[in-house]
Amino acid sequence: MYHFNKILALAFIVLLTGCSIGGEKKIKIFSVEEPRKKLDYPMPTPLQIEEIKWIIITSENANEVFKKLEEAGIDPVLFGITDKDFQVLARNFAQIRQKLQETNNLLEEYKKYYEDTDNSK
Amino acid sequence: MAIAVMLITGIAGAGMYVMKLRADNATLKANQLKLETAVEEQNKVLEQQKKDFTAIMESNKKLNVLIGTFKKDLDDLDKRFTKKNRDIGKLAIERTESIERIVNKGGSNAARCIELASGAEHTEEELKATLKSEINPECPALANPSYVPFQ
Repeated sequence: MYHFNKILALAFIVLLTGCSIGGEKKIKIFSVEEPRKKLDYPMPTPLQIEEIKWIIITSENANEVFKKLEEAGIDPVLFGITDKDFQVLARNFAQIRQKLQETNNLLEEYKKYYEDTDNSK
Repeated sequence: MAIAVMLITGIAGAGMYVMKLRADNATLKANQLKLETAVEEQNKVLEQQKKDFTAIMESNKKLNVLIGTFKKDLDDLDKRFTKKNRDIGKLAIERTESIERIVNKGGSNAARCIELASGAEHTEEELKATLKSEINPECPALANPSYVPFQ
């Protein structure tokens, strides 16, 4: 009976501690990040501007200009602006061009910032 | 018999205590690992933030330079119309043909500036231009990157 108790006690101890024999399992923590898909739009296609011809018409050359237009088979009609409005038009076009350049530059900078570095997450 | 039971109980208690210690140890190790990972991630974040800050500063600087050139281009355009009390209207009456030629050339240059601003490739001629006579005066900074204006 005494031996039986000893065996029982030993078995009990082994039962309790058995799982920890050989040390605890190592815990590994890792995370896998799936990178965000790139938008990848192509840059806008550059514009191809068609040229227009400016005709300067004064009170002196008006008849000559209309005559030349008729000879060339063009309707003898002109859409005119004054010299002051011509300056305004030039300035407006310059501003539109600058805005276009600024927007394109911003787009490039955004693209560079979010796609060249690790900021795309 | 009583001693044996006490002994067994003692051993069992000790075993359980060791087991608890091992479990605690495992928890502490896991926590330590988590902390180390967190510190490492924080360091990475800090490093990335530094890089981002530098990139943002550079980008800002570039855009400010660009906006500076815009103002200069507009001022230059105004100067061309008003330099030395110039009146483009009167000039057009006096020298109609030459002003017409200048206006058409200017229009053509301005159109090219719009193409370039929209992302068109520079021609070799534009890239090589260094003299005032070779540049596109409507947008020299955009059209002719090699041109350095004389101050």
